[in-house]
Amino acid sequence: MRKPGLELLLEHPAIWRGRSVARTATHSTGFSPLDDALPGQGWPLAGLTEILAPRHGAGELRLLIPLLRAFAHATPARWVAWVAPPFEPYAPALAEADVSPERQLVVRTTQPLWVLEQLLDSGACAAALAWLGRTPAAANDLRRLQWATQRQSTPAFLFRPACAAAQASPAELRIAFEPRVGGARLRLLKSRGGARMPFDVQWESGHGTS
Amino acid sequence: MARRERVASGRRAFTQLARPREASPSGALSAGVASQATLQFESAFDLAPELWLALQWPAASAADPESLAALARIAAGFSSRVSLEPPDGILLEVRGSLRLFGGLEALCATLLARVQAAGHTVHWSLAPTPRAALALARTGRTSIVTTHERLVGTLAGLPLSTLRWDARILARLESSGVREIGAALRLPRAGFTRRFGHAMLADLDRLVGRQSEPRRAYVPRERFRVRHEPTYELTYHDTLLRHLAPLLDALEEFLRVRQSAIEVLVLRLAHRERAERGIPPCTQLVLRLSSADFLAVRFALLLAEQLARIELPAPVVRFDLYSGVLRPQVGASEGLWRPGEHGGALTRESPALVERLRARLGASAVYGLHVVDEHRPEGAWRVTEPVLPTAQRAPCARLAQARRPLWLLREPECLLRGPQDLQLLEGPERIESGWWDGHDVARDYYIARDAEGAELWIYRERLAPHAWYLHGLFG
Repeated sequence: MRKPGLELLLEHPAIWRGRSVARTATHSTGFSPLDDALPGQGWPLAGLTEILAPRHGAGELRLLIPLLRAFAHATPARWVAWVAPPFEPYAPALAEADVSPERQLVVRTTQPLWVLEQLLDSGACAAALAWLGRTPAAANDLRRLQWATQRQSTPAFLFRPACAAAQASPAELRIAFEPRVGGARLRLLKSRGGARMPFDVQWESGHGTS
Repeated sequence: MARRERVASGRRAFTQLARPREASPSGALSAGVASQATLQFESAFDLAPELWLALQWPAASAADPESLAALARIAAGFSSRVSLEPPDGILLEVRGSLRLFGGLEALCATLLARVQAAGHTVHWSLAPTPRAALALARTGRTSIVTTHERLVGTLAGLPLSTLRWDARILARLESSGVREIGAALRLPRAGFTRRFGHAMLADLDRLVGRQSEPRRAYVPRERFRVRHEPTYELTYHDTLLRHLAPLLDALEEFLRVRQSAIEVLVLRLAHRERAERGIPPCTQLVLRLSSADFLAVRFALLLAEQLARIELPAPVVRFDLYSGVLRPQVGASEGLWRPGEHGGALTRESPALVERLRARLGASAVYGLHVVDEHRPEGAWRVTEPVLPTAQRAPCARLAQARRPLWLLREPECLLRGPQDLQLLEGPERIESGWWDGHDVARDYYIARDAEGAELWIYRERLAPHAWYLHGLFG
């Protein structure tokens, strides 16, 4: 009845295989093509996710709205932190999308990495979104953040320019984002067992999703 | 030898003061001290269980709350039972302090010298009940009554106005020929109650000591204040923090024994005297906590963050640490789970986080969002204090409106080329509002898509020159 030795060995949590399902906790992204492509069928809830978009405001934030909506209804109330956002998060639009504006914490800073670590370590945040802008992000710094996300199981989402794709990153998940009409084309640059081919997601139309 | 003499003279003075015959307002006591000693020290204690000293500002010079508090602080040095009689009187129970100060005369002399040195001119009187002491002091003369027996007799001649009763009651009493306290005391109690109510009779009873009058004690506002002068000049942050640590521990101990916490802590770093020009004499760090705390660790952490932000212009030779107003310490139990786990509340983590961020980045860099019912897009939201809502609020009914972008530009950006490169998807939505407060807008909003597929929120001014602006992104 005993399992063969190799299978026992492969069940060790530190080992993951190319197409095997990731062992981290996940939360559905709300977009079925993305869910299907991601290991674990959703956003990793402990780990660093990088979203690489050619420019700000091209729709990359919409990917996270279903997740933010879920956090806005979770108890106990915790912050969703916006670190150095490029523009002002518009409260009426968040309210319209059923993402409670009262739970959003905006931090304007030129030291996003330090702030991000504080946020992740505090345990008071459900998630942290950060725009690194021109801040150089060395692999070491990112690894530190990746650890911080795992200590308190708080997901962090980094929005970086598309050119950052060439740099190595210890992030759990890296997604290249290209805007398309009414949706976006995504490609998983790095994932623990996700799809390799680019795929499209469509925004839900009308109210509540903008 | 000298000490014994002082004690002896103090004792004599007390017995002199306590002499009933001289303890009348019309007697020699307003001038000072009579000469014969008729009453023994111990028996004076038995006669009046309490002895109240009233300090009363003269009617002409109105007292402000500041000087009242200043005087109360002085008085607190002479008695543990100090009570304010706003707007212009202070009461202190001095019988308990007589032995310490070496007698009544010595006590009064020291107290009055201190009061005068502080620049206050007040009338004062002594009586076994607080109300009587005040009434006597209000006559503007100094009267000393130490026994209950003499009290009524002394009060009898005072005008009723010294009781500060309601003017209508005084007028009614005067119309029936009652102008003095003695006359009022002689009135039949039942009739007095019927005409003027129980409260007035109780007032009279308290005046003569038939009823006790518990008084609200004055509690001086306490602060923590400590100065430290290191033996050598401090240049580096970490040595500074090392020197600061014992002071913060002392602060924690100070707060702990008082069951208090503070919200404001000020650290003033004084620099070398002969510093070059352009260097301020001191650097001041102000710590404002979002919730009152008493833990040294937390203060140290926040001060370290603040210090890391600044550069000291010169070495530090001295530092002062002082606290704001003490607040009652509110205890909280430690959670069994990690913060936020298993539905645990985040009572402390969230304020601590906001504080830490603000200590380093400044208060305005960390904020929350709030929706405002307003048609103008820039007025439809505002920045709020970041306080995590504890209860899930029901979503408020909102006006049905067109789609709004997730990103708003602080200042609309002028589209010089107009919308020609853009594909208009929705619109126009006309927003015309605010003519009443000077920030009127008259705009037609459109949702447009640019060549790269991003959706933009743009508007066209309705007034000439009909310029196009980018106001938001549907990112």
